[in-house]
Amino acid sequence: MTAFILRRLGGLVFVIFGVSLLTFFLAQLVPADPVAAALGSNARDAQIEAYRLQLGLDQPVAVQYGIYMSRLVRGDLGNSIRTRRAVIDDLRDYLPATIELTMAAMIVTILLGIPLGIIAALNRNTWIDAGARILALIGGAMPIFYVGLVLLGVFYRQLQWLPGPGRLDSTVPPPAHITGLYTVDALLTGNWPVLANASAHLVLPAITLGLFSTAVLLRMTRSSMLEMLGQDYVRTAKAKGLSERLVIGRHVFKNALPPILTIIGILFGSLLSGAVLTETIFNWPGIGRYATTSVTTLDYPAVMGVALVAAVIYPLVNTLVDIGYSVIDPRVRAN
Amino acid sequence: MTQKRSSTLWRWTALLVLVAMVLSACAAPAAAPSAPAAGGEEAAAPAGDEITRDNTLVFAADMTDIITLDPAVAYEFGGILPVGNMYETLASFDPGNPEIVPLLAESWDIADAGDMWTMTFKLNPAATFSSGNPVTADDVVFSWNRAMEINKSPAWLLIDVCQMTKETIVAVDAGTVELKIPKAVSPNVCLAVLTFTVAAVVEQAALEPNMGDDMGESWLNDNSVGSGPYVLNGWERSSTVTLDANPAYWGGTAPAMKRVILQNMPESANRQAAIETGDADIVQELGPEQAAALEGNPDVSLVKGLSTLLAYASVNATMPPFDNADARQALRYAINYDNIITLLGGNGELVQEIIPIGFAGHVGNNPFTQDLEKAKELFANAGVTEGAVIPFTVATGTGPGGVDWATIAASIQADLAQIGITLDIQLLQQSELLTKYRAQELPMLLMNWGPDYTDPDANGTPFANYEANSLAWRNSWNDPQAIELSKQAAVELDPATRIELYAQLVEYMQNNGPFAMLYQPSRVYALRNNVQGFIYDPGDTPNVSFALISK
Repeated sequence: MTAFILRRLGGLVFVIFGVSLLTFFLAQLVPADPVAAALGSNARDAQIEAYRLQLGLDQPVAVQYGIYMSRLVRGDLGNSIRTRRAVIDDLRDYLPATIELTMAAMIVTILLGIPLGIIAALNRNTWIDAGARILALIGGAMPIFYVGLVLLGVFYRQLQWLPGPGRLDSTVPPPAHITGLYTVDALLTGNWPVLANASAHLVLPAITLGLFSTAVLLRMTRSSMLEMLGQDYVRTAKAKGLSERLVIGRHVFKNALPPILTIIGILFGSLLSGAVLTETIFNWPGIGRYATTSVTTLDYPAVMGVALVAAVIYPLVNTLVDIGYSVIDPRVRAN
Repeated sequence: MTQKRSSTLWRWTALLVLVAMVLSACAAPAAAPSAPAAGGEEAAAPAGDEITRDNTLVFAADMTDIITLDPAVAYEFGGILPVGNMYETLASFDPGNPEIVPLLAESWDIADAGDMWTMTFKLNPAATFSSGNPVTADDVVFSWNRAMEINKSPAWLLIDVCQMTKETIVAVDAGTVELKIPKAVSPNVCLAVLTFTVAAVVEQAALEPNMGDDMGESWLNDNSVGSGPYVLNGWERSSTVTLDANPAYWGGTAPAMKRVILQNMPESANRQAAIETGDADIVQELGPEQAAALEGNPDVSLVKGLSTLLAYASVNATMPPFDNADARQALRYAINYDNIITLLGGNGELVQEIIPIGFAGHVGNNPFTQDLEKAKELFANAGVTEGAVIPFTVATGTGPGGVDWATIAASIQADLAQIGITLDIQLLQQSELLTKYRAQELPMLLMNWGPDYTDPDANGTPFANYEANSLAWRNSWNDPQAIELSKQAAVELDPATRIELYAQLVEYMQNNGPFAMLYQPSRVYALRNNVQGFIYDPGDTPNVSFALISK
């Protein structure tokens, strides 16, 4: 297991190197001046020149990359051209919002997708199954921005059952910063009003973001369950007189789980990229919005920071999934 | 069995460690930089003055551009708004009046000292910082020197426009500041610059112990040391700036709104929803569609105010066909201005000169209406025949007044098509467009300009003076007469003569310059009906004074 994790981390180094190289040199191809963009239309030439020198942009590109990499090795992602802060500080402010949203969407996905998939499989070809499948079809076909706007229109503007865009009501001060996930921080500090407010604010964006992946997971769970239900060992288990719950829970579901786990890993990636749109619609101050602003202002140290974070998160999630396999499937462990 | 259990345990541990790794990517260090400095935060809200939704103002706007709350550094709309409500300058503007009026200084005097001007400011003895300490001449000198030493985006206003140096600012006594500026600098212009946040006064005694290694720049992002009606409660970098009323405000009664929350809301659809539901009390900047949707809403009222921006089309005066003055004039006659104003849906006014409405020196004469025959004739004089193709570079996204740049460009394109000239529209990301514009590479483009300070010189010099390396230069328009006029007008002290000089410059530019000035956009605010005392004053810093607002 240790060797496995080390191998994965070793691979990560190459991923980071590749991503940084690609982003850095792609940024050089854009025919515009990031410094002029950051300082705006009124900036004078002397100002632009001074800032360029300060950022080291007068150096040859290869030298700039060398400097960037030597800093990166020490954990320094450089400074954002636009916000003039360390990129790592910016990420610390924006990343938790995205992680919280993605996690919440993942919870929606798992809590809805798996049970509905199981129920559909157990009631195959009944109206329950048909209902679940129609739900999956709708969820998979609706674009995020549309779902978001409809949910906001109905539950926030019309019915006013749920709060609108943002992570908290404007008048609610955020909890003390521990992880940056408002719900977790509120829980850790026992700040119940903030926990309630932050959770309520999570509902609509999490459903919006999680709808598509719920649909995918529902179908996957259903088909995987159906496949297992038809196996001989299930008949044997039933013949032995095991209760229905035991058969489904211990035998069928456990064996149906590996492909479900795989799809969850893949869905996590799609949730992260889907978060960009959801963040825009729900005024969610996350990394997607930070990335969009950074791209339009050619703030490439910031863009590289975001790319690197994504490059680290994906392999980490994949590794989690792999470890998950070995927990549920002894055959993987043996290998 | 035991072995199996321990290996399962090991697997779960590994799983937990990895989850922790993902989470720790976003965990802040134990001593978060956003933690308030001792005594800094709680001092803001006095005991017994409880903060409720009724005495809290929620102001939603696109504040994506905010990067600092240090008055010496702030140069973005998002930052200047809170900074201008926390810090004060020696002089200021009254809403709707281009005259400069006292603020921290109760009076000033401008004297001819041979080769220099001497500006002497008498501070108001009543003026105090939020700490209760008096505002002294030493604080003023310290603040200006600090801004020049930090030398970030707005510092050029002091260093280049006022030509201030450390040696030319003197604290004569506790209540008197003396500033000497070269004769080439207009005292009017310098005074206008001194109303901007870069010249705001910070309390030396409160800031000095917290300067760290960056002159206190980062400390001021979480603390305030000003004399204004509000103090900083906190800045949640990605979303909100929270201000609390300064209970001991020296300039009149304490503000009615005990707390002001500036909420970053980049999407105008979200701002519309926030004002409809009452989540926000004021929202800043709505497009024509959102404004129309709110028009009949009984809970909301709209306030429109002209900004100081000017939108224009410009041409490069060294590239054919616009190297010919007739061709430039032809363009001004070819444009259907009415159509552009219609497209703006009430979000802008026709302005065909380089000085915006609200500034001294604005003439208010719009000599051009579409005259295709005349345009055709002038183009013919310049040797431009039917079938000519001219590249027209336009930024992607929304222009001032809430209409896409491309929509306005298409309107101008249709105008010129009527006389057989094809404008080849090329859409570019704004940053890319700017890079090419600065390199004098664009034959024709659409853009806007906002003055850096409230004085006609803030437009006169960039539009007319090639030597200033600004707009005239970017359009390769090197015209000795325009340069001379702009220089004369800048330093003229007699107000009437100065206005006359600007009128001459405006007319000269209208007939010779590389610009077809199009419109001055409005900014649209929506207010909940219980909000009172709201004024949008585009020429002043800040544009919106929260201390005037009540509910």
